[in-house]
Formats: sequence, structure tokens, C-alpha cells
Amino acid sequence: MELIPRATFEQIRRERVEEIVAARRQGAKVVGYFCIYAPVEVVQAAGAIPVRLMRGGHAAEETGERYLRSDACSFCNACMGNFELDPVYKQVDAVVGVNTCDMMRRLPEAIARHFGVPVFQLYMPRTSEPLPHRVAEFRRQLDRLADELAKLTTNAIVEERLESDIAAFNQLRAMLRQASDTRHANSPLLSGGTMLDLAATAWLLGPVKAVSLIEEVLRIVAARPRLETGRPRLMLGGSMLTEDDRWLLDMVEEKADIVTDILCTGTRWFVEDVPADGAPLDRLTRFYFSRPCMHRRPNTDLYEYAQALVREFRVQGLVYKTLLYCDPWNFETRRLQGTLGIPMLHLDTDYSTENREQVRTRVEAFLETL
Amino acid sequence: MSLTGRTGLTSEWSDPKPARVEFGEWLELFDRVPDELIERYHYYSNGEAWSKYLFPPQTFAIYGARHLRRLKYDNSLAALRMWGFVQNETERLFRARQAGRRVIATMGDLGAVPVIVNSFPGCVAFYPDCIWWTPFAMESQVLFDAAAELGIGDATCFSRAALGAFAKHSYFPDPDLVIASTGASCDDYSGVEQLAEQFAREMLWVEMPMRCGMGPIEPMRRVLVEEYKRVVAAMARLTSHELTDDELRSGIRRANAVRKTVARLRELAYGGGVLAALEMMVVEFGNLHHYSDITEWTAVLEHLLATAEERAAKGERVVGEAALRVVWVTPPADPLLLTYIEDAGARVVGTEYVINQALQMIDESRPPLDAIAESFMAASLIGTSQSRAETVIRQARERQAEGVIISGILGGSHCAMEARLISDIVKQELDLPVLEFDVAPPSNEIGRQLQTRIDAFLEVLRSRR
Repeated sequence: MELIPRATFEQIRRERVEEIVAARRQGAKVVGYFCIYAPVEVVQAAGAIPVRLMRGGHAAEETGERYLRSDACSFCNACMGNFELDPVYKQVDAVVGVNTCDMMRRLPEAIARHFGVPVFQLYMPRTSEPLPHRVAEFRRQLDRLADELAKLTTNAIVEERLESDIAAFNQLRAMLRQASDTRHANSPLLSGGTMLDLAATAWLLGPVKAVSLIEEVLRIVAARPRLETGRPRLMLGGSMLTEDDRWLLDMVEEKADIVTDILCTGTRWFVEDVPADGAPLDRLTRFYFSRPCMHRRPNTDLYEYAQALVREFRVQGLVYKTLLYCDPWNFETRRLQGTLGIPMLHLDTDYSTENREQVRTRVEAFLETL
Repeated sequence: MSLTGRTGLTSEWSDPKPARVEFGEWLELFDRVPDELIERYHYYSNGEAWSKYLFPPQTFAIYGARHLRRLKYDNSLAALRMWGFVQNETERLFRARQAGRRVIATMGDLGAVPVIVNSFPGCVAFYPDCIWWTPFAMESQVLFDAAAELGIGDATCFSRAALGAFAKHSYFPDPDLVIASTGASCDDYSGVEQLAEQFAREMLWVEMPMRCGMGPIEPMRRVLVEEYKRVVAAMARLTSHELTDDELRSGIRRANAVRKTVARLRELAYGGGVLAALEMMVVEFGNLHHYSDITEWTAVLEHLLATAEERAAKGERVVGEAALRVVWVTPPADPLLLTYIEDAGARVVGTEYVINQALQMIDESRPPLDAIAESFMAASLIGTSQSRAETVIRQARERQAEGVIISGILGGSHCAMEARLISDIVKQELDLPVLEFDVAPPSNEIGRQLQTRIDAFLEVLRSRR
């Protein structure tokens, strides 16, 4: 039985959307962002409500294909579609885009053109070596973003507020880490599916409410007896997994435990805190610049991160789901498998639902080999 | 034409009346070329027999470039020379290594880094990226298969052939240094670079900033200057040579000479129809790395320009004046398409091949690295679709284009995101028909469906006259 029913998260989500709608009526601004490089602390310090735009879905993808070609990655197409379909996306007053992969770099332009939503395009170097001029430019970009957000909300960003928001998001990171770390145990109680729900809900709720929610979940975990099942311990990886991919996690967790991940919608968001030393924007610069991702060049840090998790969480297999036309993750499939040296199930799909039974067959066959 | 004037030749040679000729006719034409001319052209300014390159097209077809048999060519000696030179590049790169030159792979930025590399004595820059053409020329999947074995499959830009070429070790010598530019670049090629790292003796990653970030672009340009300083430092380590400002300025002047000639060729060809689209694509792409020998490429271009100007002066054309005028966006990977569209009664009057950074003049009055960075900041690759669309619109207006063709590649990251946006903007601004299609994998013919679409598109253009 699921530790926290899915319906509970859905209810929390609906209530939060109502709150956001009400806040907007009072003049609040909602700022959407996509990935782990968006400095949510700055958004919140400007008095805006940051919401992570991380829905997929088949209907959204099909709708999005009216704006982009069908060989744009499924997530980009779904983003476009969700600006028509999803209640959270419809509340967005502005979008913070980041120069990550090429498609995500270009997505904000399409959003601005077709939906008239202002976009703040943050340039973050793709090269990962933190050379002074690269870091300095990223720092300058954060300054510009802060200015743009201040214009949007008419709230100047003051240092005390930014410090306080850094602390708040650090606390959220720490709590998500704590929840995720319960999966160090054999046969963990917290499933990969619940962890995904928890993180996705946290990014919608904001740090204060999300921390309360996670504390409650941790209390439930602590109170519940744990049975040794001896099921295989798996890691998740690949392109962005959204709430709409929950079905895959459920399918895998019928017979295995997902104990960790290298997802941007998973551990990579909360693996570390924003450092404590230095001026707030300097710290945010260092922190966000150093996040590992497959699209960075070279992407050695991501490989090292994955290897460390495999050791730390005693991972026996990798479920690697890429989205169609997601080059950064797709291209690395073979290299990653070779480097990690563990069995890998690679699923390359869009958000369509017709292939689920085929996926089930492949998942079951993979699990049998472990 | 008589080659006794600006090209300095003593032999008499008269080009036939300008026309696009088939492969067989090209051979007949070659038979008439005096031996003295064949002996005259050498790459790397080397007078020895091994550095000749004016061979008949059959030579290259026999060595695998089967596609050459299906194209149509400009029938001038200058064009013949150009094809010989371009087709000879693989041999030339291996010869460079044998002759003790450093061979530097420059990847991803398309136009700027080779200016720096070529300024170092004894160094040859080349773009593995340009191997994208090879599977088409060879009508072969070999390089794509090699890329697939390393993890890059079919639904990806044809530039993945570069990864296959690294793995095969036979299309270019293993480079002394790989300079991989990435950043605001396409995902496909950035992924190719990452996987090619395993074959590189040494790889230097270079950041290309984005032009559409927040705020002014000047700070981005400064980032680029810092990156170019790293290129200079890496090259200095490799060659044990400290590059002087004068050497770099001289390198810029040489690159500018090429760019200036190409700008004039574009005017004459796209404005006056004196050269065909196929040759012009080869010419434009030459601005990237000058086919690994800037001195000889400059001479080839001057020869071509002399031919083009003579034709213009005489009012001769190679494509008809009444042909339908189209702007082509994104390079057609398959040269057959350019041949086909001209056969079908259209001509290219403007291009946006995502290499416009290499078409810009570099300001010779500025500090050299600043100037190179400045010219690169105009790159289509690092800007918005809106900006690419504006480039298309400007050319379409200037040349009274009647339609726009956007050829893409299935799975190419920027094609997927940009094609529809550019198409929408162009239609909205110009009210011109736009044809969008994906280039098919290498084949010996254009697919029937695509042919029908091109034919129908041209019909629409005709009906609007």
C-alpha cells in the first residue's frame, strides 16, 4: 500500500492552485521556471510566487505540436500545450528560462511569441569549468534577473529578504534530502513515486508549506514498520521525469525499489545547500553554476555524481528514461551504461500512452535479469 | 574566359558558354584542359607532384563520392578547380600531417576559431563538422553506423557523421588538438563533441555565449574574448610559439580577403545568376575553414570571382533570369536538392545557412581578439529565431524573392524549435509562400514525395506571378 496516496498530493495541488489564483487577484505575480538552474530564491525574494513548470502529458504534447515541430522534445511540446491546458501554467505571469540544452534555450521564445508571456532568459555557460569570466558573466545575469523580477513585481530585492529565502529553500533542500536518504535502508518505505510526488508538490507549495508536508511524511515513515523484501534496488535517470511519468515509477515499483536518481526533478535539485559564505548573489552564482547536468561540457561532474550514488545507495540497476529527441540524455546512454557498469533499462518514449504494455514487458524482463 | 589576366596564367583557355553540365560533360570538359594548367594548381603552395588537385570528377567518384555523378556543375575552369580542391581535402589533411604541420580540429563555432588557429605558423584548422556532407557524397551510411555504435542514432542531425569519422580514423588525421565550441549551440553537435572527446589527444572546451540573454551583448562578447585567449594559450602550448598581434592581424586580413571575395560572389550569384546554388553553397561553407588551405582557397575564389565578373560584364548567366527566386534557409545536406530546384526552374537568391558569422567582415582596426569576437556575436546559431527570420526577410526583400524554402533535419535541435517560428514570421512579414521539409538520409535520388512537394511549391510561386 502506498505510504501517501496519490490523491492526497492531487488534493494539495488543487488547493495550492486556488491559493495562487487568489494571490494573483491580490496583485501577486507568478513566475514559472523549468529546471534546476533557475534561482528560485531570487524569484521569491522579489515577492513573486515561483512555480516549477514540470508537467508532461500526452494531450499537452499533442497540443504543443501546433506550435513546434513534432521532433521538438516531448517536454518542450508539452510545455507549449500546457500553457493552454494546465491550471498552473495558465497562472504564469512570466517565465525564467535558462540556457541549458538547445531546445530549452529556444522554448521561451516560442512561449513569448505564442502566449505573450514575458520571458527572462538567463544565460548560464554550458561549459562546466568555473573559469572566472564565465562565473562573472553568470553573476551578472543573476543581477539582471533580479532587476527584471523587481520590475515585474515592483518589489526591490533586499539582501535580508534574499538571505531569508536562501535559508528557506535550503531548509526545503535539507528536508527533501532527509526524505530521500530514508531510502538508504533496505526495502525503504518511501517509494520513488512518492519521492517524485513530494518534490513536485514542494516546488508548487513553496518552502514553508512544503517543509511541513515533508515533516509529516517523515513522521509517517518513522512510525511505519519496515519489512525486508529483498527487492532489487534501482536508480532512475534520464530526461526530466514529470508527475505525468508517475505510471512508470509505479510499474517499476511493483517489483523493485527505486532508491535514488540522477534526475533534475529529483536529487539533483536538493543534493546540496546553497553555500553559507559570501554575499547572497555570489553564493547563488557559485551554487547554480556548479549543478551537474548531462548537457554541461564536459559532463564529468554528472558522471561522478551518478557513480557516487550507485555506491552510496547500493544500486543494482538503472532505469533510464529519455524523451524522444532529447539529445543530451539520449546520446549518453551507452557511455553511461559502460561507466556505471550496472544493468540498464533504456526507455526512449514520448508521452503517449499506447505503448505502456510494451514498456511493462520490458520492465518486467529487466527486473527478472537482476 | 581567357586566363591571361588577373589569374596570371599564360595558357590560353576559353570557358564554354556558361551552363550547368552533367558529370559526363564535365569529364569531356576536363579532357580539354591543357596539362600546363593541371600542373599549375597545388595545395599548400607546394610545387611537388603530390600536391596537385585538379583531377577529373571521375577520380573522386571512383574513390567513393558517387553522388557527384548525379549533380550538375558550373562548366567553368574555375568551378572545375574549386571542385577538385574541395574534394581533395581529406588527402590534404593527411599530407599536412606528413609534412609536419599541426592539424587542429575546430568544432562547433563555425567560422571564428580557425582564424586564430591559422594565424599560428605551420598549423591547419579544419571542421570535422563539415563531414556531414560525406555520407551524401558517398551515398553511404558507414559514418552514421559508426556514430550509432557510439550512441548517436538516426533521429539526429547529419553532423553525427563527424563522430563516426573520429572513430574511423581515416577521414582526417587524429588531430593534435580538438577545440570544441559549445554553449548557445545545437544539442546534436554539442553531443557529438562530448562523445568525440574519447578520441581526442587533447580537447579544449570553448564557451559560446548566447546573444539573446538579458541585457546588452557587450559583456557576452567579453566572455568570448576570454575564451579566445584560452585558444591562443592552448595553441601556444602546443606549438611552443607565442602568437604576436601582427601574426593574428595578418590571419584576420587573410580571412577577410576570403570573406570579401565571397561577399562579392554572393552579390553576383544571388543577384545576377552568374553562378549556381550548388557551387555557391560550397563557396559559402569555405568561409568556415577555407578547406584547410587558406592560401590556395583564396586563389580558387579569386579565379571564381574573375569568371563571375566576366560573365556579369557580358550579361551571361548560368541560371535563367526568369527563374523563380527563392531564399534557402538551413543548408540542404543533400546537394541533389539544390540541383533539382534549379532544374525545376527556380534559383536561389539568398541563403541563411546558419553560418552567417563566417560571412561577416572582421574589423581590422580593433584589437584582434575583440574583433573576431565582435564578428562572431552576429552568429545565427547563438541568437533567436526572430533574428534568423529577419536575416531571411532582409534578403528576400532585397532580391524580390518569391518564396522561402526551409530545409531541416529530423531531430536536429534547432530545426525542431526554429523552423515553424521562422516560417510564421516570414509569412506574416512578407506574405510569401514557405516550403518546409526535412532532408532525407543519403540516397541516390530525391524521394518522390519530396519532389512532388517541391514541384507543387514552385507551381504556387508561378501562379502568383
